Amino acid sequence: MQRHDVIVIGGGLNGLTAAACLARAGADVLLLERNAGFGVAAGYDVAPGFRMPRYSLGTSTLPARLVADLELTRHGLRLLRVDGGVSLLAGGAYQASYRDGIVHRRELARVSPKDADAWTRYRRDMLAAAARLRPLLSRRMSDPSKRSIANIRRLLGAADAFASIGATELHELTRLWTLSAADFLSDYFVSEEVKSHLAAAVLSGATFGPFAPGSARLLLQPFMEETGAASAGAPAAVLALGGPEAVAAAFVAAIVAHGGTVRTEAEVTDIILRRDEARGVSLANGEEIYARAILSDLDLKRTFLTLFPWKELPSGLVKRVGRFRLRGVTAKINIALDAAPLFPDVPEGCPALLGVTRLAGSLDEMDRALDDWRDRMPPRAPLIEALVPSLVDRSLAPEGKHVMSVCVHGVPEILHDGPWTGARRDELAELAVKRIAERSPGFRDRILALDTLVPPDIEAEVGLTSGDFAQGEETLDQMFFNRPFASLSGHETPIRNFYLCSASGHPGSLAPGGAGADAAKLVAEALGKRGIYVPA
Amino acid sequence: MSDDTDLHHPVDLAALADSARADPALFESRSVEPVFARRVLATPLHMNVAAESRTNLWTDWNGYTVAEVLSDIEDEYRVLRHAAALADISPLFKYRISGREAAAFLARFAAGDISALRVDGTLPVVFCEDRGFVVGDGLLFRLGDDEYRLVTEEPHLAWLLDSAIGFAVQVEDVSSTLAAISLQGPLSARILSAANFAGVETLAPHAARWFDVAAQPVYVSRTALSGDAGYELWVDPEDASHIWSLLLAHGAPFGLAATGFALREIARVEAGRARAGRDYFGAFSAVEPESASTPFELGLAGLVDLDRGHFTGRNALRAAKSAPLRHTFSMLAIDWPEPLSFIGIHAGADMAGVATSTAFSWSLGKNLALAMLKPEFLDKPRKLHIEAEMRHGFEVRRVIVPARLVSGPAPMGPKP
Ligand SMILES: Cc1cc2nc3c(=O)[nH]c(=O)nc-3n(C[C@H](O)[C@H](O)[C@H](O)COP(=O)(O)OP(=O)(O)OC[C@H]3O[C@@H](n4cnc5c(N)ncnc54)[C@H](O)[C@@H]3O)c2cc1C
Repeated sequence: MQRHDVIVIGGGLNGLTAAACLARAGADVLLLERNAGFGVAAGYDVAPGFRMPRYSLGTSTLPARLVADLELTRHGLRLLRVDGGVSLLAGGAYQASYRDGIVHRRELARVSPKDADAWTRYRRDMLAAAARLRPLLSRRMSDPSKRSIANIRRLLGAADAFASIGATELHELTRLWTLSAADFLSDYFVSEEVKSHLAAAVLSGATFGPFAPGSARLLLQPFMEETGAASAGAPAAVLALGGPEAVAAAFVAAIVAHGGTVRTEAEVTDIILRRDEARGVSLANGEEIYARAILSDLDLKRTFLTLFPWKELPSGLVKRVGRFRLRGVTAKINIALDAAPLFPDVPEGCPALLGVTRLAGSLDEMDRALDDWRDRMPPRAPLIEALVPSLVDRSLAPEGKHVMSVCVHGVPEILHDGPWTGARRDELAELAVKRIAERSPGFRDRILALDTLVPPDIEAEVGLTSGDFAQGEETLDQMFFNRPFASLSGHETPIRNFYLCSASGHPGSLAPGGAGADAAKLVAEALGKRGIYVPA
Repeated sequence: MSDDTDLHHPVDLAALADSARADPALFESRSVEPVFARRVLATPLHMNVAAESRTNLWTDWNGYTVAEVLSDIEDEYRVLRHAAALADISPLFKYRISGREAAAFLARFAAGDISALRVDGTLPVVFCEDRGFVVGDGLLFRLGDDEYRLVTEEPHLAWLLDSAIGFAVQVEDVSSTLAAISLQGPLSARILSAANFAGVETLAPHAARWFDVAAQPVYVSRTALSGDAGYELWVDPEDASHIWSLLLAHGAPFGLAATGFALREIARVEAGRARAGRDYFGAFSAVEPESASTPFELGLAGLVDLDRGHFTGRNALRAAKSAPLRHTFSMLAIDWPEPLSFIGIHAGADMAGVATSTAFSWSLGKNLALAMLKPEFLDKPRKLHIEAEMRHGFEVRRVIVPARLVSGPAPMGPKP
């Protein structure tokens, strides 16, 4: 009988993080991944010799802390920091983000000298708010209604983090969680271009537009990473050499180096239960593997609705899990290009083009696009993000040729008049190509190959319910100690020895890998208490 | 959808912002060059300064190339203290504030009393936000009844414009339309006279006026970063080069030399003057309130007048005046005959503060440090010291040297 200390189901970013943390702590870890690649990080050849991430855009949001703790550079990870991107705006205008404070200032001054100065105050407020929020993200959340000592202590910890905040700062923080991004930005900036640019950079994957109350908190995203303060200008965009699959490879190397095992093309079909206690897993090939702790990196719905016989679950759980909202908004278009795309609106050689280029539109347009999405309309003027990773990483495409990774946002999971069909996918791809070609002459003629994946495709291939980026819509009712919902916060589940380590749990997408690292800590403590090993 | 608050605002905020007529590519005559093409721009005096450089050592000041050292720092220092030192100070930010309510606006904006500022006078000012934290400091010029100029180390256009809402004033960034030259040292007045700045000797300290020199208008202020024996010249960018050459030519017999930014920093430390962005963080840059400062904490109490009418930050400063200081800006002298490098200020085993600027003063034969100290180390003076590490081959030698608090600017001046 095969037996391990820990089984991690699913090799997404959080599963890999949990497995690496536990292996490093001394546990005998087995990670089981259904596919050949790892989560949305999987890479593939869109055409022979053209390598790119199949599902993700390709920027890295790995926290520096995680890279350092897991020694991922020793395990082969190479991160490149580039300028933070370009928004192509209405009427041939553009705004770019530069890391250098002085260049960034001049870029803002191009449209508004006042906004150039306002950046100083904006950056200060964002960095301060991010610093306040950060301790809450690495904290295990728990159901406020449960009254165990540990729980109360945890809640007090969270309350403490708030209590240490002065009145003015608390006021600032409240504004971020209640105002719309548009209103919040108007407190600092006057230029429509600047506001659209800053909003577009954070709206990818969002289910609400820049005029929705509460959307201001999305603006924090680029500053959440601890190294966000490193540049006086805009925070850097980070790319991994070799793409997201190289990030996954570094995690796997770290797991293996600490004595763990990683198996791909190993689909878990069932959790083996003995009296409300998880004992092991069965694989699609009939294998049974046992462990003292089992972590699921699948989203909440997939975890409970596909791995368990429903009648074995506590009553009410199936219904509650069913109500958890996962909502896909993003389609992925993968393109092989005969030559680098040109963007004549942007001066030649602009280093920010190495980051993400966005077809942004105005704040109004971005808001309307999400209204359309809510009505399940095929997008008309969506927010489009394009990354050409081969500009900095020549190994991804043949000499002189390029790959372009495109995310189209505001794409409904099901259309109002029926499911996605081949023809509708082609229409979507055609829209994206047309919109890009409007700003990039000759673009269409450079396309050598093109693949389109709409949210249900991503769900079918990666098993990410609805193709939801964040593994659960991030509105306040599904965040912090409400994530995924109150009685299930804190990574523990009603099934003994069974933990949720995916982004469906706190902190969700607010801290990439955070859920995996926190769940690993919890499991390490639990195993340590049972004398299985002493956590490092 | 548009921002409602803006729509119903009595002032057209967008138009107000537009009224800021700043040239973003300062000095680079609205070039077609994209912003990323050149990280550091050149001032109108760049070619003149380059011609004087024997070292080819440059540094970045506010995004502009300025000379670090042109000949030898000790020589430049001697020139400053015994003859006169010429320097390009164009990268300073300059704002023109004009209009019917300019004086009323500035009375609200600055923490000090500006009512005594006459036309052709200058006044150091500090300005705060509502929490009483210093946003910045600068030198205020009064060019006319309704026209002022504020010269600062860091950009403040956004804060000026936001504060100006409701006042009949216009605020413009004129950094690009004004080059600046500093002439410091005991012989500077004589050099200006020789260069046909007729009657310059009658210019009182802190006063300013227009001169016509070779048919070019030059605004000269008897102001200096350090001490009293200096002038600053404010000229059109097109005329700057000519004026510079004129001064160099007429100054040569007096021992005038062009000098760099390193010397400016030494003179500043000797004068005990804090530089925004280096010795303190403006309220809009300080991420944590703890790293922002009230004027009292910066030793700028003299620039605050709580007894006159309302100004921005007054209420908070009233409270702050009697509250304990969280940190204090101080000057320390370290007796060591060679330049030392150090950051921490220690008191026994405790960390008493941080040195934000350091310099070696050849006049005093000492190291000087501007430092942010925790106040408890000032109240009951304890023995402070610094620790410097020196390398000898592969050995590191740690030298511990006592640091003495100096009150007020170092006794410099024209005498050695
Ligand atoms: C279209 C899209 C683009 C994105 N782009 C980026 C980007 O550019 N940069 C970025 O940082 N983030 C990006 N993200 C977000 C990122 O993917 C999330 O951080 C991630 O989805 C959360 O990771 P996870 O570990 O919680 O889950 P997942 O990544 O969903 O991992 C779950 C894993 O479990 C596996 N699995 C499923 N069922 C089983 C089973 N029964 N047995 C075994 N294994 C199973 C899946 O194959 C998958 O590998 C993107 C997301 C999407 C949807």
